Amino acid sequence: MARIELDNLSLTFKMRACKSITLKEFLLGKIFTRKAPPDIVVDALKNVSFTVEKGHRLGIIGHNGAGKSTLLKTLAGVYYPTSGNRIVEGKISSLFEITLGFEPESTGWENIAFRSYLQGETPKTIASKKDSIAEFTELGDFLNMPVRFYSAGMLVRLAFSIATAIDPEILLVDEVLAAGDLAFQAKARQRMKDMMAKAHLMVMVSHDLSSIESICDQVIWMDHGSVRMYGPSDVVVKAYQDSVQSEARAA
Amino acid sequence: MVRGYYLVFFRFRIWPAERILSDKMYAYISSIWSYRYFWFSLVQNDLRQRYRGSVLGMGWSLLHPIAMTVILCVVFGSIFQQDYRFFGPFLLAGMAVWNFLTQSITAGCNSFFMAEAYIRQQPIPMAIYPLRTVLGLGFHFLIGMGLVVALSFWFLGWSSVAPILSILPSMLLIFLFAWSLSCIFGLATVYFRDTKHLSEVGLQILFYLTPVMYPPAVLEGRRLGILLKFNPLSPFLELIRDPLIYQKLPSFETFGVAFAITLIAMGVAYSALKASEKRIIFHL
Repeated sequence: MARIELDNLSLTFKMRACKSITLKEFLLGKIFTRKAPPDIVVDALKNVSFTVEKGHRLGIIGHNGAGKSTLLKTLAGVYYPTSGNRIVEGKISSLFEITLGFEPESTGWENIAFRSYLQGETPKTIASKKDSIAEFTELGDFLNMPVRFYSAGMLVRLAFSIATAIDPEILLVDEVLAAGDLAFQAKARQRMKDMMAKAHLMVMVSHDLSSIESICDQVIWMDHGSVRMYGPSDVVVKAYQDSVQSEARAA
Repeated sequence: MVRGYYLVFFRFRIWPAERILSDKMYAYISSIWSYRYFWFSLVQNDLRQRYRGSVLGMGWSLLHPIAMTVILCVVFGSIFQQDYRFFGPFLLAGMAVWNFLTQSITAGCNSFFMAEAYIRQQPIPMAIYPLRTVLGLGFHFLIGMGLVVALSFWFLGWSSVAPILSILPSMLLIFLFAWSLSCIFGLATVYFRDTKHLSEVGLQILFYLTPVMYPPAVLEGRRLGILLKFNPLSPFLELIRDPLIYQKLPSFETFGVAFAITLIAMGVAYSALKASEKRIIFHL
């Protein structure tokens, strides 16, 4: 069973003017200073409500800072909503910030294990997948080297191969298609298509409107943290393109 | 709640834990357990990395406390004219417990920051990250304790085994206490960056108020002796020293106080985690 339901969900980031307060400021500030520096409040998501049922491919579009990635991270459970409800049924696999979270001093092989365990694998299930993951990376003997020596492209290869080695029910993707060199991109694209075919539900964030239109059947257009439009992909993408063009003309 | 923990601790086999703990707690603990391969492999990795490239490798974990013991015995035997047969194991036992607990605090302060990349990727119980820190330190604690046990057998001889066995539940208690402290101080550091430095200074002071280097009897009857009584760390030292150095079971009072302190620390850690673990990511 795979299903996503967001009900009137809002997410507010509260940031202090300076990054964090010291204990001294906390203890003394309340007594001596009358005016504390005001918090910077960012309404990252405002009253977002939608439901996606099993079998759908949802795309999220919008300009930079519209809340696309924040929405995806909220779906993944990484960000916890300030108010509203998030119901997600099904095993989630997320493909975002995948090149982070490696143990730099450990080898590629070891990192394959850590990452897979984090995704809920066990030593038994890994044993059968380890070699196919390694093969997909095409990194060969580099896997015996500490990850700290890897180039950015090699890291992407490793991260992508591990993250896509599972069969998720819900797949959350953030702009990973533009990863690695050209040969790997083609391979990754194929892998993604296979995964999407297997996943019961997919949510994807991308600026590449043509791939959104070809992959997704529903699209959400995010604008300043709220849903501007939600509907069939061709309709929403068309409306988005028109709006961007008219803005460009106005400018 | 207190009673619930009591039952878990002593009747784990008789009473299924899910009937004693509240549903939420049980779900939390089993969620931590379900990620056991993740944190356990990271702990293994941390230990391996620590001695990567050194000739002796893991041998250092053993050699370090051994060297410490030899030095202590020489110093106490020849310079202070003390009986090193007593003072060597006495000091080593104290250092093992003290180092484990205080390093759990100071290293625990960083545990969430070190895990930022994982936290940003997957929502898993936050208590896992301090657990990683404490298990790594616990490995060295175990080696230190092994050495103390060996020295106690060799220098002091054992009249009966029963007191010695009592260190097993005591060590579990110390471990749970260390884990809770690590969670509490880790969370505190996320919200107030100064916690790490404050705790370092605080522990420096506490070191002299804790009977690590001297037996508690030294301060008895003096004004400072009262401070020892209220030092939350001293019952844990007694739990280890009573059986290994003085060959007696820890008193019921000692065990009860240590147990109560651990319970309170666990309760604080659990409720602090529950209250704030979902917001940690916004403060890293």
